[in-house]
This record gives sequence, C-alpha cells and structure tokens, in this order.
Amino acid sequence: MDQQRADRDDLAAQAISDVLVGRMTRRQFVQRATMLGLSGGVIAAVIAACGGANSSPSRSVAASQGVGASSAASGAGGAYDPMKYAGTKIRILMTGDENDHRALGDKVGQLKEETGIDLEITSPALGPLIEKTLQVLKAPEAEFELINYLGFLTTQQVGGGYFEQLNAYIEDPAETDPNWDFEDFADSNLKNVGIYDLENQKLGAGSDVYGIPGLHSGSVVYFYRKDLFDAAGLQPAKTWDEFRAAAEKLHTDEVAGCSFIGANDFSLATVDWYTRFITTGGQLMTGSPTTKDFKPNLNSPEAVGALQMLIDVLPFAPENVTTYGFAENVDAFSTGKIAQMIFWSTIAGPVFNPETSLVAETTDVTPVPAGPGQTPRAILGGWGVGIPKNVDPAVKPAAWRALTWITSKEMNKYFVEAYQIDASRDSTFNDPELVAKFPYLPVAGEANANAQPIETTILNDFFAMNDVMNVEFNKALIGDQDAASACANVQRQWEAILRKAGALA
Amino acid sequence: MAGAVPQTTAPAGPTTPVAARRLVPERDVALLLGPCVLYLIAFSLFPLLYSLYISFTDLRAADSTGSFIGLGNYAELLSDEFFWNATFNTAVMVGAAVSIQVILGTALALFFNLHLRGSWFVRGALILPMLLTPIVVGVMWRALLNPDWGIVNWGMELVGVDPPNWLGSTEWAIRTLILVDVWQWTPFVFLIVFARLQVLPRDVFEAAQVDGAGRLGMLSRITLPLLMPAITFAAIFRAIDAFRSFDLVYGLSYGGPARATTTLSFLAFQNGFQFQNYGYAAATAYVMVIMLIVATTVLLRRIAVRRTDAP
Repeated sequence: MDQQRADRDDLAAQAISDVLVGRMTRRQFVQRATMLGLSGGVIAAVIAACGGANSSPSRSVAASQGVGASSAASGAGGAYDPMKYAGTKIRILMTGDENDHRALGDKVGQLKEETGIDLEITSPALGPLIEKTLQVLKAPEAEFELINYLGFLTTQQVGGGYFEQLNAYIEDPAETDPNWDFEDFADSNLKNVGIYDLENQKLGAGSDVYGIPGLHSGSVVYFYRKDLFDAAGLQPAKTWDEFRAAAEKLHTDEVAGCSFIGANDFSLATVDWYTRFITTGGQLMTGSPTTKDFKPNLNSPEAVGALQMLIDVLPFAPENVTTYGFAENVDAFSTGKIAQMIFWSTIAGPVFNPETSLVAETTDVTPVPAGPGQTPRAILGGWGVGIPKNVDPAVKPAAWRALTWITSKEMNKYFVEAYQIDASRDSTFNDPELVAKFPYLPVAGEANANAQPIETTILNDFFAMNDVMNVEFNKALIGDQDAASACANVQRQWEAILRKAGALA
Repeated sequence: MAGAVPQTTAPAGPTTPVAARRLVPERDVALLLGPCVLYLIAFSLFPLLYSLYISFTDLRAADSTGSFIGLGNYAELLSDEFFWNATFNTAVMVGAAVSIQVILGTALALFFNLHLRGSWFVRGALILPMLLTPIVVGVMWRALLNPDWGIVNWGMELVGVDPPNWLGSTEWAIRTLILVDVWQWTPFVFLIVFARLQVLPRDVFEAAQVDGAGRLGMLSRITLPLLMPAITFAAIFRAIDAFRSFDLVYGLSYGGPARATTTLSFLAFQNGFQFQNYGYAAATAYVMVIMLIVATTVLLRRIAVRRTDAP
C-alpha cells in the first residue's frame, strides 16, 4: 500500500489515508479517486486493503432505539462460525419477474455447502408477490423467514413496522461474516430500502436498518451509439437541447435519432418523463401526507416541459415509438435501429452482449442529460431483503446468516457477471475484473449513487397514480391531447386519489 | 324422501324408479353427495360469497383490514370515468366481435355443408385457432403485428399496402382486438352451426323443392330459421365469453393505448392485482355478473329459446 500511496500526488495520498483510517467512506473514496484519475486497479486494491475495518460515522449502525445486540443476536460475543445454523431451513419470498431468482437458484447448493442452511425460493410475479408479502407480514407467524420487497414499496412494508431491526445483527461479529461489509452498500440504495425512521415515518432518515439492498438495484443511464456520434462529429448530449439536436442530426430511414418508452407502460412516466422533469428543476410533490397537504405539481411548467420534450423528439424516434414498451426499446436498440436513448441501466447486459446485440461493440453509456445547473440523475429502482418481525425468534439469526450470504460481495459480483443484474454494492460497480468485462458499470454505479426515489412511493396508491400518468402521457404522444392538457388531467386525477387517500385536504 | 312418495298405482316392482331410489338409503345419499357438496361450498360458493362481501368493503393490500362501506364501491363505480370507458369498450368489443363471428361462422358452415372435395382437411385446420389459449393468441398476434418486424406489416408493404398502426392508435387498437377475437372464435360458431346443419330434417327441404322453392328462398325461409337455435346458442355463449375476455387483452394490448382496449375484466384485474384495491375490483366484477345476468335473461326471453331447441 505504501508504494501505491507514494506514487500518487498529495490529494490521492490523502484520500487513500482517509479511507484506510476510516475518515472517509468507500463510496466517497471511489468518487474522489475517480475524480483524481486513479485507475480501477488501484481503487480496488485500496478498497480491498480496507478489509472490514472502516465504518463511516454517518453509516453507524450502533444498536439504537432500544434494540441491543444481545436482544437480537443469540450468539453475541462468540467467534463467527459459518456452520452455526447448519440444518436450518430458510424460506425466501422474492420476485420472479427478474433474473434474481435464477441467479440465487444457481447458488443454493453453495449456500448449503458453506453454511449448512437449506434455502427454499418462492418467486411469484410482482402482483402476487405484493399480495403474498402482505399476508405473510400480517400473519401470526411468517411462513417466510426472508422477504424481498420492491423499493417502491418500502414505505408501505417497512414503514408499517413489519420488519425486524437489523442493527444488532450487523454489529455482532459472531453473527455477521467479517467479510460481508455493510459499508460497501451504496448509500442511495440503503436509504431507499434499508434505513427507515419508524417514529417519524421517514424513509432514509436516522440510522435504523430494516432491510439490506438486494438482490439488485439500479437507475437510468444514457445509451448512445458512439460510431454514429463519432461519424457525425457529435459528443453525447449533456443537455436535453443537445439530445434533441443529436436526434435530429442522426435520424435516418434506417436509424432513429432517439427512442423512448412511448407506450402506456410503467417506464414512460418513471424513466423518460421523470428524468426530464427532475433534471430541469421539477419537483413532483410538495407538502406531506401526514399534514394532508401532499400536493402534486403536474401542472408546473417543468412537468409540461418534460412531456413536451418527448413530443418534440417524436419525428426523430421510431415510427411506432408510441407502442414501444421495455422489450421493444431494448430490441430496437440492440438491433441497431436507435442512435440514443435513456433507459434502465439493467439493460446494459443484453445491449453489451455480442450474442444478443448487434451494437455491443459500438455502444457506450454516460450519465443522462440534464438542464442547465442540474445534476444528471433519475429515478432509483431496486429491491431490499428483510426478516419479517413475526418470524420464529429462534430462526431469526439463521435468517440473518442466509441474508448476509445472499447479499455478500461474492454473490453481488456473481449476479452481475452471470446475469448482468444491476449491482447493489459500490465494490461491484467498481470491480476491476467486472469493469473490464462490462465497461458500463462505473457509469451505472454513478447513476445509482445520484438517483432519487420517486416521491409518490410513500403512498399506497403509487401504482395507480403511475398508471394515470402513463395513460395521459401516452394519449399526448399519440396526438389525442397536448402536453398541457395531459398534465392537467394527471393533476386532476392525482388530486382526487390523494384526497380519497387522506393525503390532501 | 323415498318413503314419503305416495303409491297411487300398483306396488312398484324392483325395476321401477321409486324402488331404485329405495335401494339407496338416505344416509348413503348424504355420503355420496356430501364430498361434492362440500367441494362446491369450499371452492365455488364460499369464494363467491366472500368476494361479494369484499365488494362491500374498502379492502386494500396495504392495510388488509377492509372496513365495511356498504355500497360505497358501487357508488364510486358509477362516477368513475374509467369504469364507463371500460363498459363502452366491452360493449363495442362484444357487439362487433360476436356479430362478425356469427355471420362469418354461419357462412362458413353453409359453405362447408356443400361437402366439396378436400373440405374435411380445411375444416380441421379451421378450428385450430380456438384450440389455442387466448393469452398465447394475444402474444402471438402482438408479434405478428409488430410494427418493426411483424410479418403482417411486412406482407402488406410487399404488396404496396400501407399498414395501419394496429396497436398504437386508439382508433385501430380496438379494431385489432376485435379482429383477433374474430380470428380465434369464428371457428366455434362455425362448428356449432355446422353440426346443426347435419341434423336438419331432409323432408322439409324435399317438400320445398317439390313446391318449387329456389336456393335463396330455401336458405332464407327454411335453413336459417331452422338454424336459429344453434346460432342463438353460439351467439350467447360467445357473448358471455367475450364479455369476460381478459387474457386476450392482457397478451395483445394490455388495455392500451390510452385505455382504448381496457375492458371491464381488465379494469377489474388492474384494480385488484396492480393497484391492490380488492374491494373496488370485487365490486367491478360483481357489476359484470349483474350485467351478464340481465343481458342473458333479456336475450333469452326475447328470442324465446326453448330447451328442446338447443343443439
């Protein structure tokens, strides 16, 4: 380490020292090191040298709010024994809509080998998963020891007080593998699915941990065809005006200048509209449901402007973009029919895979465009894993053991390597071996770090409200109404929903 | 109560129905029918009654307490623009699809009744669509009509026809839904009508021929009236099925664009499984049941179908 430090300039050396002694978190170090131009190998080596030692003050998980280590971790004080819970059966309820259950299924045997724990996976589609989760959480005794919940539902499920507080387990060296490294989880993901202030009902506030980010996270990045941009003498767009100009310039009969989700689809509002909205200064909601003044700002100039941006690029999008959902967009981009688009970083896998993409070698990613003075950022996606409170107390430590195993660095890396699932850990986003194979990872990591949860996720009506947006915006895109009318309609319908829910007087 | 049956005639022999009933003691009847009745109660009656109860509550996944709100959900439905939009879409789909299916199915049955050479093979191939699951049909047609690489657009462009925006415009999406439903279910109407055609009394036609009736006259005055019970049966059966249609919408258009193909079933699905608003979804489903009962009763009375006319 001394040799590496000596090779760096003063600032870099200072950063390395800070992270080694714990004055700086690893994520802060990665950001600083990237700015200073340290190579991925050096960053990885420094992070590896940190071991499990560094704990950020802001990430302190000291037992709090009445939950002590002794109350939660039965084996407190002893040495870590990986086989301590051998023979225990742990059941996990998780999503079957993504690849996570496949990746986890691959590793069930290894989990058994290394811990002796039998993991049984139940993975319904999202709708039934939500329903089943709520049944399990409200039953006298949970039939699943681990539950994988959608980040958009953290407020409903974690905020309802149904999950076990995990601070004591995290702090207990007898219960947590020293290599598990809680510090390594991206802050944004922890605040989205892990940390919750139950007393004040605030997502991401305080230091109480109820869930661990996983099995995947992710946000939105900007995919562009560097061959086409180079040929046209263009740089990837940094602003939305540049995005439109590039779309116009690159549009041909064979390749659309840009694309987006134009169909009545979840991602129309959450990816394409919301990214444009918040990066041009828009704020979706003001007030709070608890004070009954949770008011939407769908009729703001930023809201109308964001939708108008999509309407304005219609001439440079694929002819039938208004029927494009997730699959159509990925297919069209992968077959070389699109010059640029913003989209979930999770599609980077198939786009950069030469077996599934014709543009694997000619595509690059960069942060999404933004308005003047705005940070490139988008919606935060992802999942969390937690232990229901109503699990048999005798089994909870074993559930924690399984939880830490499936959210370990090795597993996170495997998920990315084998399935290109979006990472949840900083070290995975910056893993030199992975980055060499998947160059998009650091950009995806940056997008993930800067992303923000959509404000309406704190309401039970999140999906219904999102549907209203998608329908009205889709109507505007197919020419049945203009942007202002669409936004006004959403505003009207949202206010009705919020009033009915008691969030708006 | 076998023992209570009055014996007004001569004592029944061992082969009479009364005696047969006596052979099965009352307790055995309960034993034999009991499991079936229990099964029906557990898996049909209870869910039906429970969902009816849910429709009177504000049950949501988020709180799962579900307070009783009486007719609140039903009242809300009446003022819900999405409900009326879905009702309109359902009516258009049922009306148009069933009408076309009846006309086409009957025409095909009459054509195949000519028993032309090789018609047995075409007849067999014709019924293939109805053997497919509607969700598969939806996804398959979505692929066929894909604007970028679908074979339908490719074929149309090959012959110089500009393909419409099948699933991308509000005007065309409902037409496409009807078209696919017609493609799948016309064979059903054809089968029913064709089967009836095979058992029509020949003497009526022979008498008409002797009286000098022409082909058109026989068709309009004899064949179609005789086929009417079968056509009515097929139409009602199809109307009920189309009214409940969910899987085709799910696979083909997912209710879009802009709710242009959202039917009542799909609306109930959205409220129940996407928005976890179970009380409201149950109320939607029960309104559908009421609509079906009323429509079927009125229809059956108006056309006065007798049980003996059924094919």
